[in-house]
Amino acid sequence: MPELTLTLRHRRAGAPLRELGDYERAGGYAALKRALANLEADEVLYQLHRSGLRGRGGAGFPMGRKASFLPKDAPLRKYLVCNADESEPGTFKDREIMEMDPFELLEGMALAGYAIGAQRGYIYIRGEYNHHAEVLASAIVQARRGGYLGEEIARSRYSFDITLYRGAGAYICGEETALLESLEGKRGQPRLKPPFPAVAGLYASPTLINNVETLASVPTIIERGADWYAALGTEKSPGTKVFSVSGHVLRPGNYEVVLGETTLRELVFEMAGGLRPGRRFKACWPGGSSVPVLAEQHLDTPLDYESLNAAGTFLGSGGCIVMDDSGCIVRASLRLAHFYRHESCGKCTPCREGTGWLERILQRMVDGEGRMEDLALLEALFGRIGGKCLCALADGAVAPIQSALRLFRDEFVRVVEEGSPRPEPMVEAAVAAGA
Amino acid sequence: MTAAEIRTHIDPMRPEFADQRSLILPALRFAQREKGYLTLDDLEAVAEATDLTPAYVEGVATFYDRLYLRPVGRWVLSVCVTLPCMLRGCDELIDHLCDRLGVPPGGTTEDGLFTLQEAQCLGACDRAPAIQVNAEDMLGPTTPEEADRLLERLREAPAPDAYVR
Amino acid sequence: MTRRAPRSDYARIDPAAPDAVSFELNGRVVTAPAGTMLVDAAWAHGIEIPIFCYEARIGAPIGACRMCLVAVDGLRGLTTACSTPVAAEMVVRTDTPEVRAAQDGVLELLLANHPLDCPVCDKGGECPLQDRTFRFGPGRSRFIEPKRHFPKPLELSPVIALDRERCIACFRCVRFSQDVAQDRNLAWQERGPRSQIATETGEPYEGRFTGNVIDLCPVGALTSIPYRFIARPWDVFNAPSVCHLCPVGCNTDLSMREGKLMRVTGRPEPNPAVEEGWLCDRGRFAHGGEAADAPARLKRAILREGSPARASDLEAAVVAAAWRLDTAKAPAVLVGPDATVEEAFLAQELAAGPLGGAPLARLGIPGAALAPLRGLAGAQLGELDAADLVAVVGGDPANQQPVVELRVRKARRRGAAVVVAGPRPTALDAVAEVLRTAPGRLAEAMAALGRLLEAAAAPIVLWDEADLAAEPDAAAALARLVAAHPGARQLELAADVNGAGLRALGIPAEGVLEAALEARVDALLCVHADPLTAPGAARWARALDRVATVVAIATHESPITRRAAVALPALSRYEDEGVLVSMAGRAQRLRPGARPADGAAAGWEILAALGHRLGAPVAHRSSREAFEAAASSRLAFTGLSYASLGVSGQVIGPTPAPPPSGAGAPAEPAGEGLALVAMTEMFGDASAWRAGALAAWRTGAAVSLNPAEAGRLGLVGAARVEVASPEGRCVLPLRIDAALPEGGAFVALGAPGSGAEALLPPDRHAVRVTLTAAA
Repeated sequence: MPELTLTLRHRRAGAPLRELGDYERAGGYAALKRALANLEADEVLYQLHRSGLRGRGGAGFPMGRKASFLPKDAPLRKYLVCNADESEPGTFKDREIMEMDPFELLEGMALAGYAIGAQRGYIYIRGEYNHHAEVLASAIVQARRGGYLGEEIARSRYSFDITLYRGAGAYICGEETALLESLEGKRGQPRLKPPFPAVAGLYASPTLINNVETLASVPTIIERGADWYAALGTEKSPGTKVFSVSGHVLRPGNYEVVLGETTLRELVFEMAGGLRPGRRFKACWPGGSSVPVLAEQHLDTPLDYESLNAAGTFLGSGGCIVMDDSGCIVRASLRLAHFYRHESCGKCTPCREGTGWLERILQRMVDGEGRMEDLALLEALFGRIGGKCLCALADGAVAPIQSALRLFRDEFVRVVEEGSPRPEPMVEAAVAAGA
Repeated sequence: MTAAEIRTHIDPMRPEFADQRSLILPALRFAQREKGYLTLDDLEAVAEATDLTPAYVEGVATFYDRLYLRPVGRWVLSVCVTLPCMLRGCDELIDHLCDRLGVPPGGTTEDGLFTLQEAQCLGACDRAPAIQVNAEDMLGPTTPEEADRLLERLREAPAPDAYVR
Repeated sequence: MTRRAPRSDYARIDPAAPDAVSFELNGRVVTAPAGTMLVDAAWAHGIEIPIFCYEARIGAPIGACRMCLVAVDGLRGLTTACSTPVAAEMVVRTDTPEVRAAQDGVLELLLANHPLDCPVCDKGGECPLQDRTFRFGPGRSRFIEPKRHFPKPLELSPVIALDRERCIACFRCVRFSQDVAQDRNLAWQERGPRSQIATETGEPYEGRFTGNVIDLCPVGALTSIPYRFIARPWDVFNAPSVCHLCPVGCNTDLSMREGKLMRVTGRPEPNPAVEEGWLCDRGRFAHGGEAADAPARLKRAILREGSPARASDLEAAVVAAAWRLDTAKAPAVLVGPDATVEEAFLAQELAAGPLGGAPLARLGIPGAALAPLRGLAGAQLGELDAADLVAVVGGDPANQQPVVELRVRKARRRGAAVVVAGPRPTALDAVAEVLRTAPGRLAEAMAALGRLLEAAAAPIVLWDEADLAAEPDAAAALARLVAAHPGARQLELAADVNGAGLRALGIPAEGVLEAALEARVDALLCVHADPLTAPGAARWARALDRVATVVAIATHESPITRRAAVALPALSRYEDEGVLVSMAGRAQRLRPGARPADGAAAGWEILAALGHRLGAPVAHRSSREAFEAAASSRLAFTGLSYASLGVSGQVIGPTPAPPPSGAGAPAEPAGEGLALVAMTEMFGDASAWRAGALAAWRTGAAVSLNPAEAGRLGLVGAARVEVASPEGRCVLPLRIDAALPEGGAFVALGAPGSGAEALLPPDRHAVRVTLTAAA
């Protein structure tokens, strides 16, 4: 059960690394200096490719491949965009990185920017993370002063600067093309693809978009070498990943583990402290709220991309929401349906109309007004919504409910028959008192 | 807020964006700092400062939850109601706050001090049930007793210099 | 007159184009040009892939409604056919069970919250949602929850009602406003299921092309207020016609019920060479002012024998008119700018035959200096799509030839550079490089224009007839620039609706006025011509003092019908047949979309009756025969017939040009003071003033000045000023406008009763005006 702290560097240092000096003393910016002094941009790109680092935002697409899709000799400007719109229920890892290791993100962006030939990067941070935006803003100022951002950074001939751009409250802006729309001053509605952002992204220019955790992993890769990084974890899931554990566990928090070397059981019961005494594990959404739910029989699944796929779910953002046997799966599904209805941008018909319909059916069930045929109706709607839209939001709305109905059908039937009264929540005071 | 004030804020950012339309969110966020919400006059000022039409600006502003187009209280209490917080008692917390403030979710107290807002995931699931006051750092886990102490503290606190939502 | 074909919304493609590739569609091997969107390619091969958000004219597809999902081999899941270009060897199926289920699914979801108020919905019967549900949709709905409610309907503007419950969020209207018309006053608001179309809170939807969103709406969310609850689609008959309110010649569709014109809409099959299906709001909403019972219509024939005027039946009035003309010693004929080809041709025959070679002229600009420009390679409006530079020289097409604005904006979107040269601020300035010239000094712009033209491969120059007629030096210079460029073409922004048609018949703009001023005319037949409200009105008023008898054929009451000894009511352009020739030389047919007004007759019929009374043999028993006679005797119309014109018209042959004169010399404006710059407001002319539907938008006469100019003239604070030119004078409200350049007095023309036309000379020679504060 190796917990290996790479990206959460402040944990190794034992203190937040919000001052440039502290970060440098903790080994920060060594990678950038060395890369700019010794490596061609292509070599940095190759290192990223070779490391096998996969996008940590949710889709898990290899970062090096994504970066290599940018046209090499396009006359257009190129952009790097950091997706810091972390809004996936159950996910709070980027928050910790930005709050505690802001320079690691900035350094990762400078390295990625150098690799693709971008002169400007944007950090699109969700509006709610005001405190974290202030930490980042201060770090950006310090980095400029320290020569790590701006003209000819780290005494090289490479110039790169970062603009912090703040969202205003919309989950959909975490979808990369919606983020670009929002950053361009439009309503944050996803774009039709192709063209992909690598070809026509921000302002129709070639753009690389990556999540905070992905970019914050870059300095370690350049510092230790791609081969070292790739040797961690499994062949298709190299490196470490931060899991955010929440819900009915005693020690909710972020845990950085080597992919494939830790099981879900270890994450929940050992790292996150397990459940309250007398409670039994019931369900877990291991990759944020948009992934199919797992049940007790899946506890020994190793945490890596392929193993979780094999178990019928996704690693996603690594936001692991745990529910014990006090919780009702229909109520949980309803709460998720409510979220997706609220956050649907309204562009595609199936999502705009379907998420609300799902919510209303589940609400009726919970209220004791469900009908047995609603179960078949739900199943029909899954197929009419899932896979039918521009972006993955609707798929994310369907997946947890569809899987819940499959794994916990008996409970759905019981709720249709009896409704579902609000259960007692897990309350901190009670936990502290040892109840 | 006037278009001139908004321009003072956004003009220095212009070189950072290839398309000036990108300034709309910074302009809206800045305009909101004055009263904590946006009036039609504010939207028109943003339109003028960014060279866009008021209809377009309103269309963008209404897309985002944290831009308020109706008056809200001095302190907007955003209580996360998403699944991780539900498992940890956010529904009970909302009930408690409704009771204490005498308003339904979404409502603003008569004295204009508080707006109680149901929020989607605040990214503070490790502090569930989490609550955010305006756009300050998220608080939690928030028991009903702690919520009472929070209300107490906010009632005594001076109005913020700027309303960051 | 036919039942209306459903609007298809697919782009027309040529499956046999040289760059066509072959691909497999539902098991058949078919062809389409590479890059054509699958929906359009399938339509061309008789397969309907249902769509809602896709509309080829609005711009790149957005893939929002998800109605057009199809199966493409090699692509995971289903893909949107609206955004998938055809490629060679592609294998596409639109009829698999998965595709059917997806179509059914999208429709079930669209209908979940869509009210089932089809029986009282104006769209019912011509509703794509209704039609596609019937064909592709669910037999039953499983949605048992209460539907989403909004207060309804909302008045989006004085002419458009919005029913938000019916909206299916296809985004077409908003994209039209944002990307096509670019008024950007219509936006999408809120998010998710609550999202809706909206203007700025509390403001109406303002623009010059707003009515197009009604045609674009695939449901009954956006409906026409003047047409609201007026007719059901199956009650109306539709006639493809052409708009007669400006020289662009937009193709229209007239809907008639019980003999009345109910609405004017864009054609379901747009004319790509002209309007591409778009109409301006004047063309769409002004028709009410021409209804048989509209207050301004000339409803009965009027006889003024000695004094008091009395109404007469038409036949007796024609006899009286014929007698007047027959007994005149020196009759003359004046043809108005919107007379049809048939009317003008019959007027010519009348003048040449029974009236013994009487002089005949059109009311319009002589423009001798324009002949070299007109002789250069011409372009149709549709060809702007392929231009890399669009130059607008003089004029203000956004107000005068409105749909030109949309075509220029489209050219800009497609990458063309746009340059606007002239003294007026125009709506197109926002998308153009502006070469602002001093009033009367268009020639100043030619050097810069020349450089821009040189850098372009396929430029099109739009030039304003009135402005360049007033500045022969600029006209000559522009003609040289265009002639010197092998790829350049020109397109006239004409002043008159059928000016090109009248010129093609060989009708001069001069002769009659001059003769009348010299008392050489004792009877004047005015055919849709009111010289008292046209440029040159002051001179005409003096001339008419010397004319004993006026006979007027007119649709509306006006100063000339009040002056006429005999006024003969003619059918309106919505009631009549005939041919109009657009500014681009395209002859197009008017077809009746309303029953003939009682007591009136077609203009051609009145002219034929007059000829008959005056002893000419009956030669033409219909407007069709009159047109055929014109076609057989006038070179420009050779070979044309009603049949060959079809529904989208034909470009006429070259018009014999008079020898150019006056070219090259700068024309010194006559008079003293500020140069007069004639302005036209889109809703400022008689047609807008007569239309109740446009009451909220109409604009009146005014003279506008730059504030500094007003200060110099001591006019700050003056509400009204007397404006005087060497031609005439009038009193106008004064407006101060900082957007206007100094050195000019910007006078809005067209408003009924303003008298502003009296300031201008009939040949539109440049003039200066003096301004003094009026009491």
